Amino acid sequence: MKFLSEYRDAQIAKAVIERIKAEATQRWCLMEVCGGQTHTIVRQGIDELLEDAIEMIHGPGCPVCVTPLEQIDKALLIAARPEVLFTSFGDMLRVPGSDCDLQQVRARGGDVRIVYSPLDALALAQRNPTKEVVFFAVGFETTAPANAMAVWRARELGVKNFSVLVSHVTVPPAITAIMEAPDNRVQGFLAAGHVCAVMGWTEYEPLAAKYQVPIVVTGFEPVDILEGMLLVVRQLEAGRHEVENQYVRSVRREGTPAARVTVDRVFELGNRKWRGIGEIPMSGLKLRDEFAAFDAEVKFGVQDLTVEEPAECRAGDVLTGRLKPPKCSAFGTRCTPEHPLGALMVSAEGACAAYYHIGRYRPEATGAAT
Amino acid sequence: MCLGIPGKIIEMRDDNGLVMGVVDFGGVRRECCLAYVQDDVTLGDYVIVHVGFAITKVDEAEAQRTFEVLKEMGETQELEWLAEVADNSLAAGNDA
Ligand code: SF4
Repeated sequence: MKFLSEYRDAQIAKAVIERIKAEATQRWCLMEVCGGQTHTIVRQGIDELLEDAIEMIHGPGCPVCVTPLEQIDKALLIAARPEVLFTSFGDMLRVPGSDCDLQQVRARGGDVRIVYSPLDALALAQRNPTKEVVFFAVGFETTAPANAMAVWRARELGVKNFSVLVSHVTVPPAITAIMEAPDNRVQGFLAAGHVCAVMGWTEYEPLAAKYQVPIVVTGFEPVDILEGMLLVVRQLEAGRHEVENQYVRSVRREGTPAARVTVDRVFELGNRKWRGIGEIPMSGLKLRDEFAAFDAEVKFGVQDLTVEEPAECRAGDVLTGRLKPPKCSAFGTRCTPEHPLGALMVSAEGACAAYYHIGRYRPEATGAAT
Repeated sequence: MCLGIPGKIIEMRDDNGLVMGVVDFGGVRRECCLAYVQDDVTLGDYVIVHVGFAITKVDEAEAQRTFEVLKEMGETQELEWLAEVADNSLAAGNDA
């Protein structure tokens, strides 16, 4: 265990691992929902250490990874327009669209810029009144409050040359879709700590009851994740199925109410496609009608574009736990972080990239690990 | 983009009706929106920041510890961003 042993809390981590091993009377199948957790689990080798007690399935919790191809293609079309200054979080620039990515649009002369916050994009719109500034509003419930505020402020300040291309997804409908799938094997969930810091966990209570599945709100550090796993295993062993909170230091049951209010004012629930999974009903956020003037899809007339996902990428099977990344025929050969075929290979939070970066299961990974 | 980073509020002000402030992340400073936590925090408090927005308050010991763990795990690329890429893109916007 190269990484975990170097980690300062390694003693605590080892103790929790021993407890899980001692308490699990069978091998349980758990899913972590957050891409940040996937990254930690794979990087620290937590899944390998607990192989006998727990099988970890890496869930669809990375916003970069689940953004569907057609939203990327819409971004590419908009970003290529001469009057547009296209802004985005950095991780979206290399997500492959049907025939190129945002970085290539920039290389061909498109004005594409990385911003840290959607308010930076709004500031760019104010400073560049002759440009149409578009922000690629992606993410889960963690980025929704920020993106909602940017739109709210744009209206308040009367900034007319600002719009957002929305590709927001929410966690609870994804949990429903996973539990409803006929071949589902997931028996317990680690819910994403920071998503719950915003939203609280009341939405998870009916899910835990309906599907009789334990859901534990969990942080993203190695010890957090191990503690979350232990709490899920304890519930499973005792036949309980409740929502529990491992991440007490940051999360309250009601979340951050002020953030929820702004998200609600600007967005409403709508159907949304997930890359590799397909459409999940009411699983995303879309702008409310009163904010239509800030909808980049309407402004640039791309709302009707639909695109099929590439057949070779098995992202859907990876995201639902049917396939481990190295088992994809393109993994490490036709699909690498330098030349990603699918979105799971782009972001460090994507399951395929997480496996690739630690050199795990690579055919030629003989000591030459990066 | 989903990893939140803890930082200390070292400046708070009203920007046209929106509570903004400067947050210090272990030496890297950055403008952040404090609107969602404004009733909970004062100067010197620690918050977790996501894409430029404080989403929840944390205590100082917890903030320090998390920050150290993030560094240990090599998860501070987001800070490098914060310091360089993002601000560069904004600065470039000034000339247009
Ligand atoms: S390795 Fe590449 S092609 Fe295969 S599932 Fe992952 S992202 Fe898709």
